[in-house]
Amino acid sequence: MSNTDIVLEICGSAGEGTISSGEIFNRYISSIDFEIMSFDTYPSEIRGFGKCVAHSRFSTQKIFTPGKYTDILIALNDAHSISQLGHLKDTGVVIYDSKPPKYHEEDKSIVGWMEPGMISYGIPFNDLAQKAAGNSRGRNMVALGAVCALFGVDHEEFKNTIIQRYAKKKQIVIDNNVNSFVEGYNWANDNLTKIDSISFKKGKNKNEKESIIINGNQAVAKAAIDSELHLYAGYPITPATKIMEILSHELPKKNGIMLQTEDEISAIGNVLGAGFAGKRSMTATSGPGFALMTEFMGLSVMAQIPAVIVNSQRGGPSTGLPTKTEQSDFNAAVNGGTGDLPRFVIAPASVEECYDGTTLAFYLAEKYQTLVVILLDFFLSNSIRNIDEPTPPTEKMLNSNIAPNEKELKDYVRFKETKTGVSPRSIPGTPNGMYTTTGLENNERGKPQYDGKLHTKMSDMRYRKLNSALNDVPKPKWTGPKKDIDVGILSWGSSAGAAYEAATIANKNGHRVAVLSSLVVFPVNEVDLTKFCNESKQILIPELNYSGQYANFIASYINRPVERLNMVSGLPMASEDVLSKIDEMIAS
Amino acid sequence: MSAKDHFIIIGNGPAGNNAAEVLRENDKKARISIISTESFSFYYRHRLKDFISGRIPAEDLVVKHYSEYKDKNIRLRLGQFVEKIDPEKKILYLKHMEKINYTKLIIATGGSPRILPSLTIFQDYLTMFSTYSDTVGLRHRIEKAKEIVVLGGDLTSFSFVKSLVKACKKVSFLLFNDAFWPISLTSEMILKIEENLKSHNVATFFNDSVEMIKKSKSKYTIETKQNNKIKSDIIISLMGMIPNIRFILGSSIDTDRGVLVDAYLRTNFKDIYAAGDCAQIYNPILKNYWVSIGWMNAEEQGKIAALNLLGDSKIIEPPKEEIFEYEGIKVNTSWWKKF
Ligand SMILES: Cc1cc2nc3c(=O)[nH]c(=O)nc-3n(C[C@H](O)[C@H](O)[C@H](O)COP(=O)(O)OP(=O)(O)OC[C@H]3O[C@@H](n4cnc5c(N)ncnc54)[C@H](O)[C@@H]3O)c2cc1C
Repeated sequence: MSNTDIVLEICGSAGEGTISSGEIFNRYISSIDFEIMSFDTYPSEIRGFGKCVAHSRFSTQKIFTPGKYTDILIALNDAHSISQLGHLKDTGVVIYDSKPPKYHEEDKSIVGWMEPGMISYGIPFNDLAQKAAGNSRGRNMVALGAVCALFGVDHEEFKNTIIQRYAKKKQIVIDNNVNSFVEGYNWANDNLTKIDSISFKKGKNKNEKESIIINGNQAVAKAAIDSELHLYAGYPITPATKIMEILSHELPKKNGIMLQTEDEISAIGNVLGAGFAGKRSMTATSGPGFALMTEFMGLSVMAQIPAVIVNSQRGGPSTGLPTKTEQSDFNAAVNGGTGDLPRFVIAPASVEECYDGTTLAFYLAEKYQTLVVILLDFFLSNSIRNIDEPTPPTEKMLNSNIAPNEKELKDYVRFKETKTGVSPRSIPGTPNGMYTTTGLENNERGKPQYDGKLHTKMSDMRYRKLNSALNDVPKPKWTGPKKDIDVGILSWGSSAGAAYEAATIANKNGHRVAVLSSLVVFPVNEVDLTKFCNESKQILIPELNYSGQYANFIASYINRPVERLNMVSGLPMASEDVLSKIDEMIAS
Repeated sequence: MSAKDHFIIIGNGPAGNNAAEVLRENDKKARISIISTESFSFYYRHRLKDFISGRIPAEDLVVKHYSEYKDKNIRLRLGQFVEKIDPEKKILYLKHMEKINYTKLIIATGGSPRILPSLTIFQDYLTMFSTYSDTVGLRHRIEKAKEIVVLGGDLTSFSFVKSLVKACKKVSFLLFNDAFWPISLTSEMILKIEENLKSHNVATFFNDSVEMIKKSKSKYTIETKQNNKIKSDIIISLMGMIPNIRFILGSSIDTDRGVLVDAYLRTNFKDIYAAGDCAQIYNPILKNYWVSIGWMNAEEQGKIAALNLLGDSKIIEPPKEEIFEYEGIKVNTSWWKKF
């Protein structure tokens, strides 16, 4: 079977059912075994009105990026959709409402702006929805019906997906949606002559494993619940709010607590309080909130209290670009705060890794009694995938606190020096496990003490924990050739997907391109890094920030020049971007 | 002319394209737009027959690539149908529900396949083609078909049959000589045509006509007046063209069979011109209207309409060239004698 790899976008105004039709489409397309990667754009969540885009890439192949260029654009709203034409392929298809209630003024209609070579199919969304349900709410379903007719989709199966989606609604809602869908399907079958060559009848062969459709934020929330999170404290902020929203429903079911605090300082304070009490706790925020948390981050490290902070990055600095994606909090995550603050920084590259990274974060925070920052970004938080049901954390991961044994409790020394740097931690309430702790430098028993010798010893212990953890975290992922690499890409976070895809294409074109990316970006696994760089003639570091934060950071480890690809367009990195940089590097 | 001018041409055929070229050559500033229903680039219609029978790829149809319009700053609006003209307010109403203002307009909308009144009851069984999109699906069907019937009522039908024979299809040909388009065939012509088709192994039915068409599964049976029964996988009807002017009716632009224009290709509205297959042109000497068909006529008329729109006063002469040629028979098609 030939490969299918298609990008479909639905664009409409808030309230037109854009996102819900995208969701139904994804559910269906996932059920016929396509790999999907989807990304919804809402109007700025703060302002509330305006343009929505449900962007879906689906493929018979493994995919890592949402795709830069669109094959099919469904325009539920002409004015909003016109700007989406900018990334419609030269032979892309537009499906639009051919009978809106009144004429568009000149240049206000999507069809008017289509480039020659693009194909348009006009469907009377409005009329057909009215016919089906007596109102125009089902326009989105009419459009989906037309999509099924045009691209060879089994409409009966699709209909079932609609029914399932609205199963909890009143029968009339289900009927109106289904009837609108059927109207669209029949009308397109009877009236349209297909002139494009796109078809997506079915995906790859059935996978035995159950798959779920989930976005990055949902994966984090799910992983947190599975990791036996007890307290979530947070203050809402785009793009992290969804994590809080989900946990507000889910945590109480598990006897957990969701606390909306007055600000981010309070949120992290609560997290540390629960952490001190031996309960797993976390907060999620974005750049501006993360900045407020730095004081308490220091306390987490100094007092050796587990804490998990999710920072879903948006365009910055300051309140910046709330609904745009960027990877510009790397410096803040790795270096933020005062004093020497060793912490773990986890940067998932995919929705799957959002889950795995979060379960790992709780494990590390508890075992190494320190701060773990999970770096997501706007794109990853909102990027929707169908993934295999993730593997829940093991018993060992769920109970990772190294508690003092009976002998140690006889004369309990909270910050006792150990080889690994990890001192057994008693949970408050443990008989004989009492101790004091503060944000001040302290001796092994937790008593404040400021002499230089002790500070050196305790700092060393705090850093030693990280180094000893290097064997406890997944090794960096090395994909592509192991030797004689033309371009070695050091990638991190959500732009790694673009790097994998670009490398795959470059290798098909006869080059030797490899990618090294690590779920844990700090501390650095220098062994693998050095080996990778030694095998690479040139090094490329693509990232979504202006100054090349990761490139600057890694330079001190590898001590050689690197090529950079920095973008701050607010969009996720695309494989095309990385590929053209690779080509440029190889040609030079 | 000023940058405020918006010259619109409806139709992306030879008439429309030649008009646009001339307009741009003589006016660098004005906005120029071509609007056309078809989504495919400007192409040679007469090559469609070879495309359908699988003898040439789609690229070989193309006359002009999209980039050439961009280079000349001509906006090409493809896949867009003009539904209504308001010549008083100078507004075009497009099917996709957009209103567009023009300062001057050239109508170059060509024609569509004609269907004989006697065949309209069988319309659902007949396949007609005149555009690229008509042929995309047809090409696939022809590829699969073994037996094909052509109802031949125009000059294109002969060359199409030849193309099918070359593609190794079993072809039957029913000639509609009393309704032939755009000329009346002389008995000498008919004889020659029949002889020629037979030599290519085409089954010919020349003094016959369709009585009934039946369909069972995917096979058709044509029963003729003379009790012939012809089996077929596809029935293709080629009966000439009628001008695409329905969208103009009711707009107060004068029409008859086509858009009525004077020898300068002007309609009854000062800033509206018509050219090509859709135009019906007044001949001051004959004191009558004539309708031309054919590629070269359309090209010439497009140029003249554009020049006159820009202020020139060129008269169009009925062309003398012979446009169609079939196996040595040359036909002057400048006069449209019949519908
Ligand atoms: C199969 C076939 C074979 C032919 N063979 C020959 C031949 O061998 N020699 C020869 O000289 N001629 C031949 N012709 C005829 C020749 O192609 C036409 O005479 C010529 O194309 C007419 O040009 P035109 O510019 O007037 O219109 P056209 O080429 O017909 O173009 C008109 C355009 O206007 C568009 N249009 C129509 N209505 C609207 C509307 N309301 N809104 C927007 N757009 C609209 C149409 O979509 C079309 O693209 C053949 C035609 C066909 C169909």
